[in-house]
Amino acid sequence: MIISVENLVKKYDGYTALDGLTFTVEHGDIFGFLGPNGAGKTTTIRILTAIIKADSGNVLIDGHDIFGEPLTVKKIINALPESNGYYEWMTGREYLQFFSNLYEEKTSGQEIYNLLGVVGLHDKEGHLIRSYSRGMKQRLGIARALINRPKLLFLDEPTNGLDPKGRRDIHDLLIGLNQKHGTTIFLSTHLLDDVERLCNRIAIINYGKIVRVGDLDRMKEKGTIEDIFFLSTKEGTL
Amino acid sequence: MKATYIMQKEIRESILTPKGFLWYILTSVILSVMSYLFLTNNELSLLDQGQMLYMIMNFITALGVLMGLVFGADAFAGEIERGTLEALFLSPVNKVEIATGKIGAALTNWGIIFAISLPYLFVVGKGGQNLLIGIVYLAFLGTFLAITFSAFSMGLSARIKSMKNSLIISFFIFLLAGAPIFLSAAQRRTWFGRILDLINPFADVINTFDSVVIDSQGFGYQVARVAIICGYLVLSVWFLKRSVSRLEM
Repeated sequence: MIISVENLVKKYDGYTALDGLTFTVEHGDIFGFLGPNGAGKTTTIRILTAIIKADSGNVLIDGHDIFGEPLTVKKIINALPESNGYYEWMTGREYLQFFSNLYEEKTSGQEIYNLLGVVGLHDKEGHLIRSYSRGMKQRLGIARALINRPKLLFLDEPTNGLDPKGRRDIHDLLIGLNQKHGTTIFLSTHLLDDVERLCNRIAIINYGKIVRVGDLDRMKEKGTIEDIFFLSTKEGTL
Repeated sequence: MKATYIMQKEIRESILTPKGFLWYILTSVILSVMSYLFLTNNELSLLDQGQMLYMIMNFITALGVLMGLVFGADAFAGEIERGTLEALFLSPVNKVEIATGKIGAALTNWGIIFAISLPYLFVVGKGGQNLLIGIVYLAFLGTFLAITFSAFSMGLSARIKSMKNSLIISFFIFLLAGAPIFLSAAQRRTWFGRILDLINPFADVINTFDSVVIDSQGFGYQVARVAIICGYLVLSVWFLKRSVSRLEM
């Protein structure tokens, strides 16, 4: 397995954001991480990407302890945060070059051009990011998250605020990454349409606890994804 | 090495921009006006060259400190507010390297201010005493002070995560640092004035300039003050390291 999370607990000023989270993700999965707003999705991603520390629990990423070897883990993963900002005064190419320089294994100019091609931005490589549309910025963010050819990619609400075409582009991009390069994708979202289209396994989180986890196809045998989501996140049903 | 890339990014973002050039043009304009007044105004030209040099050195130091504080306040809080820090934290760069790169950019800024001020120092101090040694002291102590205040302000910015608040607090610190300037000569001779003078790094620097440029005293007289300035430097770098290590999104 590429992610193993065991009894993860995170508290903020007495408020328990994550309350004994336990789940696993296999290599090659597109794993949907669903939950209502405030359920703990972003906190989980920030812990799994070594941005913040947990109060207790164990996390192994591809066999590496996230708390003991954060820099090793950061070399094999990458992420697109929910509210990702950009250095708007850079061009798309400069932005990717800057992040590439922060890794020991640098990405060549040709590779950066190819990466921009993967996300459909090669014709905009020399344009300032401030001139990009929201969807283009989101695709640039994904290109930045692919700069180190990660085995595991975390995406936090990647299609939020995009129009149908923008969402479709992101969907196609993620499916391509998963199928062509075998990248495992951990997708946090509350958009059930994204989950139906992309994921093979899902976990539903509510009030910092995993309330349901399993194969999407099997779950759908028992009802629509919407029914499962509402049943799992409705207060008092668990 | 990664700190160098962060530094280059910071320099491009804050210095090699129209905004950055405007700062330096304004610095140059203010220094030109000051120098012109020193050299042409009847009352001011009663001052000897050493006094004029001392005053312009104080002004350059204050400008360096002020810009260091602004740089520092934006360093982490600004990136958090613009949503760019998380992507940096996702890279395999430790937080201290990020802080080192940002301090490097703040120092570059001070270096540019110092370079801009050099011709003015030569014009104002030409023919007077202790010009070269004064410039050497300005280079060293100005650098120490620029690091001290930038590091403190960056640490604050990492702790309170709000650019507006860290900027306001930094300005208060700047005013506090400049407080001894407003004391009269009599007040500065009281025990309170002496303590305030001694424990204030900014006052220590300008008193050292006074001692070196006007009173022509040697390094032996400056040791205590320089030691205090170095103490503040170490403390502020420690504060920055500690604040950044604990920084969470």
